[in-house]
Amino acid sequence: MHRIPCVTRLLQPRVERWAALLALLLLAVTVPGALLAQTTGTVTGQITDAQSGAPVGQVQVFLQGAGLGSLTNAQGRFPLANVPAGSYTIRAERLGYQAGTGEITVAVGEETVFNLAIATQALALDELVVTGTAGAARRREVGNTISQIDMTNVLEPPANMDALLQSRVTGMTVTPGSGSVGSGAQIRLRGNVSVAMSNQPIIYVDGVRIRSDGYAKNVPNTGFQSRSNNDVSSPLNDINPADIERIEVIKGAAATTLYGTEAAAGVIQIFTRRGRPGAAQWTIQMDQGMARVLPFGPATADRPPSEPARTSAGGRSEFLFIDPWLRNAWQQRYSLSVAGGREDFQYFVSGTLTDNEGVLPNDYEEKVNLRGNFAFFPIDNLQLQWNTSFTSTELSHTASGNNAHGLTLNAFRRDRNYASSEDREAIDPLLNQELISQVERLVTGATATWTPTPDITNRLTVGYDLALQNNRNLRPFGFALAPTGILSDRRHRFATLTADLVSSYNYRINEGLRTSFSVGGQMVTTETEETGAYGENFPGPGRPVVDAGGSTLGFESRQRVINAGLFGQLLFDFRDRYFLTLGMRVDGNSAFGENLGLQSYPKVSLSWVISDEDFWNPSWGQVKLRSAYGHSGRAPGAFDAVRTYNPVGWGQDPAFFPLNVGNADLGPERTAEFEAGFDGAFVDDRLAVEFTYFNARTTDALFNVRQIPSSGFLGSQLENVGELKNSGIELGANFTVLRGSRFGWDVGGNLTTVNSEVVSLGGAPPFSLGNFGWIVEGASVPVIRARCVTNAGELAEPVFQDDCEIGPANPTRIIGMNTTVSLPRGMSITTRGEYQGGHYIYDLAAFNAVTRSVIWAGCYNVYSIEQTQGRDAVPAEDRARCFLPTRADHHIYPSDFFKIREVTFNAPIPDRLVPGDSRATFTLSGRNLFRWTKPEFRTFDPEMSNNSGFEAAVRSISEHIPGPSLWTASVRVNF
Amino acid sequence: MKLMRKGSGCTVRGLGLGALGVAVLVAGCDFEVTNPGPIQEQFLEESLAQPAVVNGMGRALAQGLNWLSYTGAAVTREIHPAGSTAAFGISNEWSQGELRTDDRNLDTHWNQSSRARWLAESGVARLERVGSDSPELLVQARLWAGYANRLMGEHYCEAVIDGGSIQPRTEYLDRAERYFSAALETASGNLRLAALAGRASIRVHQGNWSGAAADAAQVPTDFDYFVPYFSVGSDDQRNRIAWAGAGTPYRAHTIWNTQWEGYGLSNENPDGDPRIPYSYTPGETGDAAIQCCGRVPFKRQQKHPTDAAGIRLSSGREMRLVEAEAQLVAGNWNDAMTLINGLRTRVGMDEVTAANANEAWTQLKRERAIELWLEGRRIGDRFRWNATGAPGAFHELELPGANSNLVQQDFCFPIPPAERETNPNIPVG
Repeated sequence: MHRIPCVTRLLQPRVERWAALLALLLLAVTVPGALLAQTTGTVTGQITDAQSGAPVGQVQVFLQGAGLGSLTNAQGRFPLANVPAGSYTIRAERLGYQAGTGEITVAVGEETVFNLAIATQALALDELVVTGTAGAARRREVGNTISQIDMTNVLEPPANMDALLQSRVTGMTVTPGSGSVGSGAQIRLRGNVSVAMSNQPIIYVDGVRIRSDGYAKNVPNTGFQSRSNNDVSSPLNDINPADIERIEVIKGAAATTLYGTEAAAGVIQIFTRRGRPGAAQWTIQMDQGMARVLPFGPATADRPPSEPARTSAGGRSEFLFIDPWLRNAWQQRYSLSVAGGREDFQYFVSGTLTDNEGVLPNDYEEKVNLRGNFAFFPIDNLQLQWNTSFTSTELSHTASGNNAHGLTLNAFRRDRNYASSEDREAIDPLLNQELISQVERLVTGATATWTPTPDITNRLTVGYDLALQNNRNLRPFGFALAPTGILSDRRHRFATLTADLVSSYNYRINEGLRTSFSVGGQMVTTETEETGAYGENFPGPGRPVVDAGGSTLGFESRQRVINAGLFGQLLFDFRDRYFLTLGMRVDGNSAFGENLGLQSYPKVSLSWVISDEDFWNPSWGQVKLRSAYGHSGRAPGAFDAVRTYNPVGWGQDPAFFPLNVGNADLGPERTAEFEAGFDGAFVDDRLAVEFTYFNARTTDALFNVRQIPSSGFLGSQLENVGELKNSGIELGANFTVLRGSRFGWDVGGNLTTVNSEVVSLGGAPPFSLGNFGWIVEGASVPVIRARCVTNAGELAEPVFQDDCEIGPANPTRIIGMNTTVSLPRGMSITTRGEYQGGHYIYDLAAFNAVTRSVIWAGCYNVYSIEQTQGRDAVPAEDRARCFLPTRADHHIYPSDFFKIREVTFNAPIPDRLVPGDSRATFTLSGRNLFRWTKPEFRTFDPEMSNNSGFEAAVRSISEHIPGPSLWTASVRVNF
Repeated sequence: MKLMRKGSGCTVRGLGLGALGVAVLVAGCDFEVTNPGPIQEQFLEESLAQPAVVNGMGRALAQGLNWLSYTGAAVTREIHPAGSTAAFGISNEWSQGELRTDDRNLDTHWNQSSRARWLAESGVARLERVGSDSPELLVQARLWAGYANRLMGEHYCEAVIDGGSIQPRTEYLDRAERYFSAALETASGNLRLAALAGRASIRVHQGNWSGAAADAAQVPTDFDYFVPYFSVGSDDQRNRIAWAGAGTPYRAHTIWNTQWEGYGLSNENPDGDPRIPYSYTPGETGDAAIQCCGRVPFKRQQKHPTDAAGIRLSSGREMRLVEAEAQLVAGNWNDAMTLINGLRTRVGMDEVTAANANEAWTQLKRERAIELWLEGRRIGDRFRWNATGAPGAFHELELPGANSNLVQQDFCFPIPPAERETNPNIPVG
């Protein structure tokens, strides 16, 4: 397949259309703003850190009541032009800092200078959060931990949402699937809480629930289900990171109770940027990057005497011989946004073009993001917010994974592949398979907030998330492994409708006691539909359509599921330092069995700002103690409760197969969690510490209980039979080592431990989740169980033992670390690293190769010993792995790793190089630049997944390439 | 057609909709949830659904036969492994003749064939209970039930019925005989011949030689009864032996290094036996290296020339061999040889000779191997001859040894982990 050069493609009509639309939209929004401006006077100044004197960038500076505002640059400077003469209150706000205000008087034709020092606040107890509460709440009131990502602190230009979230939140793991472009990542908050259902957190954008499960894999409906790139992309990555203002993450059932029957795995709330009163603020950003694959195999120098340094195609063992097909991939992104408004109307409009090559030869990603966020204040006490985003994505993939028709499998298997040759000429024809996936995504939501009195707030949100995906998969006529051609065209529709209503009433009982009562309801309707067409045996070359095939098939599926619930919450606030919150959610779900009624989920939380007590010495710092207990749930799949037969056909005739046994008592699994901890700021706010202990127990856990095959139903049936527990700690700390006006140094770290256990199987037999992941009483959730070698290190023939519990499938300890060095002139260098460990992974690709007598690079050390010292010098476990007859069981490896996630250099571009009042910043950022694994882990990357991508219940390594490292240079101009 | 649908109008099981009033107005008064496609069980009671129910039995049998016939062919060396070990391949264990109790790769074989038996038996019971507009439909259902039980009785070491405890494999055979007999009560035409042939093949296992011969005698030599396969893009409906041995995507098995290499009809042996057809392109090898031998020559069977080729369940030639074996059991080995040679000359092959009963048994075993090649029958024959100590010899390439690359040779499939781990009536261990 030949790819059109990037620049040419950017001018293709499809992209052109969106660029023109964006330009019109921006024009429509900004012209009225310009007409409103008046030339009367200017205000300039600098915002600095009160403690260090260093300039503070990204501060919103605005004149209250005037509809004028601006954003500070890296030197902390801001301009306010066209300010009518008069007196004003000027206010400066930024997350992480206490707001500051001052009074100024502006005279016609004069420049008024206003400088302000604002103080950091490590805890920000009076900052509003909205996640996990009914309506907004101050941090001091909330009894559970809430993690927040403030985008003003993110200096790197993240490639996508997964990259943005990775290693930034204590207790969260973000694990990519593969090096295929657009690969989605698995997100886990405090590990797994479910065995049978998705553990991916649910996601809200500006209060609108969006799809969090992966998009459909690009594979034909029929045939071996790996004729694909065998990865899935994530709807989360349709969101443009540049549009985001902040992200709130809540973990565990104690915090997610009010989200009801789908929230046990956690909630991620994303808040996009909004306009502020003031003149239009434009931002242009250009990112240019290069992705390349780090070595993922043994060094050539470690090869045995019998092996040449390179294959006939030029491949080296460092890349498992696929390097002749890998490339340094150019990635580029162009963003333009504008924000501004008046007191009664504010806007934020943005557009982004992304054009990324992938490191595999057929891989590319083209994406267009458009967003418009508008706020109206038509009457006093009523705010209308309308946020809409549209994303158009085209992904092209190289066939990979465990795919006999794919590049990666055939390159890894050398001359034992399906071309019987490792020559480039033999493998290149496999690149003729075309895998194109297009997604058009609209997310729109409107929120009306009515505050008839200061004590009463009503908020209604209605949102709609619509994604249309078209997967086209073509092996053309003449394709080496399907000579008469195969074409599949599958069209998916994913829709989520959200309706959410909440009313809050604040009532002060007496001087010291205040209550806040909230009640509301929520309904989420999810629709998934698919129509698929399949054709094979085409008459000749040329670009086919499905019905040109000698054999054609059609497929259809459609489901609609509704979850609805009511919730109430009562907050008692005593002396603004003791807080008790009681809450309850009652849910119904169309997936529940007939015998099951409504489900109720209670919660209670306590918060005590102990540092506000009289006995507390202010020099000790600021501390909030908190604890929470709550229930949440996870609903079974649609119609899992019903006994059904499946119309399968037999040739051209109709036929039925048994499908689902059915279970009239089926209901959600319930997770009850207790968490306790504290948030503290010490040493003059230089040290911020957050600690949480959590203990969750899932009862009525949904297990896919295997049916007895001799009873006819081959599938498994969901049953509420199990019990799981999950406990651990989260500890995060940030310390400002050095805080000066020119130099600064911050260090931070976090530790998460997750210990899971299957308490009970409820009488069900142990069962496999695939890839050697098992659910066994007393073991972790899941545990890797396989035949093992009991004399691993002995120089002897291996001795085997069946059903060894080798270790957890998911990490049990996660350590993150970061440091930022602030330099003169607003420059900074940030580094972040992450370690995960305690878990194991099955390397299917290694087994597949060794069992086919491939000279496998992962066994180079073993072959070397054998060839130089004889087989007797090879340890037993290595014999089981590298010599025939090997078994899959022996290709399980410890997954511990450390990676440098990010190194970012950020520097303001000198004002003399930027025209007018513009401010510009240069950023150079590298991601995933270094990988360490245990010595036994010889090939690939522990952060990989199999043919199911990030939706794999138990990850394993199949014939993919690991995610690449990425260097990005970025220039951002604000004016 | 009944679609799966729950709830209707504005009521969904008492969800407290009052508080959602505003939201409902906005979202529209539509609380219907749907999942068209899957069919609820009660629909199967309707007469219009009965053909699809019976077709389901046939497809399930075809799928079960697909798995057992292919793996059984590798273990008995009707074919030799040539490449893939996963997907459509032959695992290293099966390559060596091993069918282990803990082999999870054998779950699929059990699951597919068990579903075929259960679906057919429960379907027959439903048809008998609610009645059928078409008497032929009930005969067909009983035939599928008979063949499904024969498939399991000829392949499995032991029997499990509907989640019960372990029983002798003869339970399957007894059930098969009952279903074939029931079919014969109302069958006519080819369905009657199929029921007779099916019952004769069962009675061979039961040692009821007179009954077997009596049934066989009613079936003409040129009679054939197939279960069909289809090339409709679905791998489950393809003939697995053909598809796994196709040039694309797999060349997973070969005639190389079997007793049929050089005997069967092929481009390298134009005078070979047409009942063992295969082809060879010089230089072509299996799709991947195999454990014993690396890359091996790919000589493709042509008995199932396409993935839409049916697999024979019964034939008149099998009936002649049933009669021949009955003669051997009765001590009339000369009469047996006459029947055997009758089948050989029928296809233009030279007659074979035997000097005594032992040699006649050898010829019968070989002739059954030829006539029933790649029909999923060899492993059952090997089991019963092994169990009864039948005289006669086998070719060295179908026995364990250095030349055959068979380390051992199991003659029946064990009840696999999928059943052992889920069925409470099977003791652990």
